[in-house]
Amino acid sequence: MVLVTSVRDYINRMLQDISGMKVLILDSETVSNVSIVYSQSELLQKEVFLVEMIDSISVSKESMSHLKAVYFIRPTSDNIQKLRYQLANPRFGEYHLFFSNLLKDTQIHILADSDEQEVVQQVQEYYADFVSGDPYHFTLNMASNHLYMIPAVVDPSGLQRFSDRVVDGIAAVFLALKRRPVIRYQRTSDTAKRIAHETAKLMYQHESALFDFRRTESSPLLLVIDRRDDPVTPLLNQWTYQAMVHELIGLQDNKVDLKSIGSLPKDQQVEVVLSSEQDAFFKSNMYENFGDIGMNIKRMVDDFQQVAKSNQNIQTVEDMARFVDNYPEYKKMQGNVSKHVTLVTEMSKLVEARKLMTVSQTEQDLACNGGQGAAYEAVTDLLNNESVSDIDRLRLVMLYALRYEKENPVQLMQLFNKLASRSPKYKPGLVQFLLKQAGVEKRTGDLFGNRDLLNIARNMARGLKGVENVYTQHQPLLFQTMESITRGRLRDVDYPFVGDHFQQGRPQEVVIFMVGGTTYEESRSVALQNATNSGVRFILGGTAVLNSKRFLKDLEEAQRISRSGSHMV
Amino acid sequence: MATRNRTLLFRKYRNSLRSVRAPLSSSSLTGTRSGGVGPVIEMASTSLLNPNRSYAPISTEDPGTSSKGAITVGLPPAWVDVSEEISVNIQRARTKMAELGKAHAKALMPSFGDGKEDQHNIESLTQEITFLLKKSEKQLQRLSASGPSEDSNVRKNVQRSLAMDLQLLSMELRKKQSTYLKRLRQQKEAGMDLEMDLSRNRYKPEEDDFGDMLNEHQMSKIKKSEEVSLEREKEIQQVVESVNDLAQIMKDLSALVIDQGTIVDRIDYNIENVATTVEDGLKQLQKAERTQRHGGMVKCASVLVILCFIMLLLLILKEIFL
Repeated sequence: MVLVTSVRDYINRMLQDISGMKVLILDSETVSNVSIVYSQSELLQKEVFLVEMIDSISVSKESMSHLKAVYFIRPTSDNIQKLRYQLANPRFGEYHLFFSNLLKDTQIHILADSDEQEVVQQVQEYYADFVSGDPYHFTLNMASNHLYMIPAVVDPSGLQRFSDRVVDGIAAVFLALKRRPVIRYQRTSDTAKRIAHETAKLMYQHESALFDFRRTESSPLLLVIDRRDDPVTPLLNQWTYQAMVHELIGLQDNKVDLKSIGSLPKDQQVEVVLSSEQDAFFKSNMYENFGDIGMNIKRMVDDFQQVAKSNQNIQTVEDMARFVDNYPEYKKMQGNVSKHVTLVTEMSKLVEARKLMTVSQTEQDLACNGGQGAAYEAVTDLLNNESVSDIDRLRLVMLYALRYEKENPVQLMQLFNKLASRSPKYKPGLVQFLLKQAGVEKRTGDLFGNRDLLNIARNMARGLKGVENVYTQHQPLLFQTMESITRGRLRDVDYPFVGDHFQQGRPQEVVIFMVGGTTYEESRSVALQNATNSGVRFILGGTAVLNSKRFLKDLEEAQRISRSGSHMV
Repeated sequence: MATRNRTLLFRKYRNSLRSVRAPLSSSSLTGTRSGGVGPVIEMASTSLLNPNRSYAPISTEDPGTSSKGAITVGLPPAWVDVSEEISVNIQRARTKMAELGKAHAKALMPSFGDGKEDQHNIESLTQEITFLLKKSEKQLQRLSASGPSEDSNVRKNVQRSLAMDLQLLSMELRKKQSTYLKRLRQQKEAGMDLEMDLSRNRYKPEEDDFGDMLNEHQMSKIKKSEEVSLEREKEIQQVVESVNDLAQIMKDLSALVIDQGTIVDRIDYNIENVATTVEDGLKQLQKAERTQRHGGMVKCASVLVILCFIMLLLLILKEIFL
């Protein structure tokens, strides 16, 4: 709740002191930050009657001096240049500038230089520089996410830009929370180490005064980890509502674009909103598995049909009056029911077409249970199965390779060859690339529960007890990390502190930042962990929100760059 | 949540740069500087409900920077007046609703008087409010914009915001009316029950004159129930009328009001939509221009005009040679 509330508070503060008709100008990144927490009708209540992008606003030449311009943009050099031009030829009566992150003095100088008409009334920094749609989850929506996998020598400037953006985002989160954390990072990841150190430099040296907040009992903890420590979670198919929608269709800024599924009739809405803040049904069902969702939706449809029937049964004048009174709510309920029914129907169709029940069972076995021989048989069968799609075949081979990397290399090679022969789309070597990035030597954590004795015992116990639901057996590695933090037993060897930071005991607030992206399965883990009231509150963030498609795309992109880079070197 | 104000630093830079840029400007200019107000007259803050606006369309030129100088502080577009009127009406309706609430409460209190003037007051207030709402709704339709321009987006959004306010007001009015009627009916029934109980109590000990007493009491009961049914009919009439009026308003408004929580309520969706509708509008305009130019009508008209000229020429030639 905290981050969503912070962004909303920032926006409220921006708009409340400025009277009269306003126009809100955003850039391509802040439009996501704002749209996910603030609705158009709320903007209208605050007398903001026009919303524009900073790119398109210089195109039109209409002068609208009866409007006051409120800019909310990132302080990038691109935006500053555009703003220069717009200040020199102002179209609006007043200009109020709000930047989502720290401004450099040179940038302020440039802006002051171009403000010859003196239309700028205020210049403020409001640190809402992240996209947060769920209570304990935020993302930075970075386009060039794949850069974290590439060593610094290949593209130093690109990696610097990547790192800067991440550091800015993390800084904004802590400024919004008004905290200065103790920082730890994953030892085996260079990118994580770099980001951790640069964040520490920003918070404790460059802008030390800005971050000097009131000290609380125990400092919060920032833990910077790398996606490659757990490559299994983004590859798995998901069966809980929010994660499943993202995996099968795609969820961007809490919007689902149904255009990608060709099977819907034209008149059905092409985009729908899935927001836990605005949709009570979604809020109570977003972490439930597919079977339970089906039942709950059926119940919702039954309730709705009852209401509809009573609406048709209008006999007295009082009934009429009641119908007119309740019409807006009725319409809203109808829209909601149809939205969820459409989503679940489409997902069922996809599950059926891609035979995801069988595929996912094998995936879960690969991720959770042992038995190399049986696994090899299962994967080979599915590779031979015609109705399994290319991406699913690739995922299966990758999961097998990650699990049994060192066992039986002959069979592994056979699987590679079979994959290459069956799936012409996927360039050869992608699986090998994945193993190079995230293989057993590169990983810190005990991903498959077969390193640590305690984990092996736990696995055996689970195997004996049997699982509730085969499809949701898997628990992301993050869960173990959170448990260690809660017990105060996060190993210094694996997750060292930056510089001379130190923390005694266990922290009460933890922000885990995953370089390379998070998944909705992990955000679900965090939400469930927070609900147990263990005394530690976790917030999860990443450079993007991954599904298997996105993760594979990042891998491909990184592989391509590495290849061309190695040619250059 | 932390923020940082950079305005002071900005102003410092701006002032120092200004003096660097125009070191020969007259001292009078620098004298009139005050807290960021430039050489151009700034428009006073235009709140929608603020009637004291300065409309002065003065355009001044900054003698310091000749070519870049003037911002013409122009009048806001005419439709802003309409929107201001509507919001003034809405405000008036709101105050009247507060009065109506008080009048309802007063009428419901047990009183010695007839209560007729209270009823009259309530009726007149309700009528005024409904009239205001209807008028606002008609004016709201006038705000509908034509043509895809930035101004039309602002108009559309203003329209939507006012529509939301109107809808809320009408729903509030409906609720107030229905609760008032419900309570009124409850009171009347309670009153009637009380009277019936009293009459029954009086009735029992006089069982000897059974027949006559029965007739009298029956007659009074019948009369009372007649009165009650007449009143109920009148109330039902009122309810029907108000339901009709408000249903009409709600129907028209629901086309304008945004459904909260749906995709239409998302800022990013509206921005994309605007972009595509503006593009589409442009294409349509271009297409219309093209068809008009190459249109058959134009060709026809030009052919006819040429024929006219030829006929005229022939006429003149005929006159000359005859």
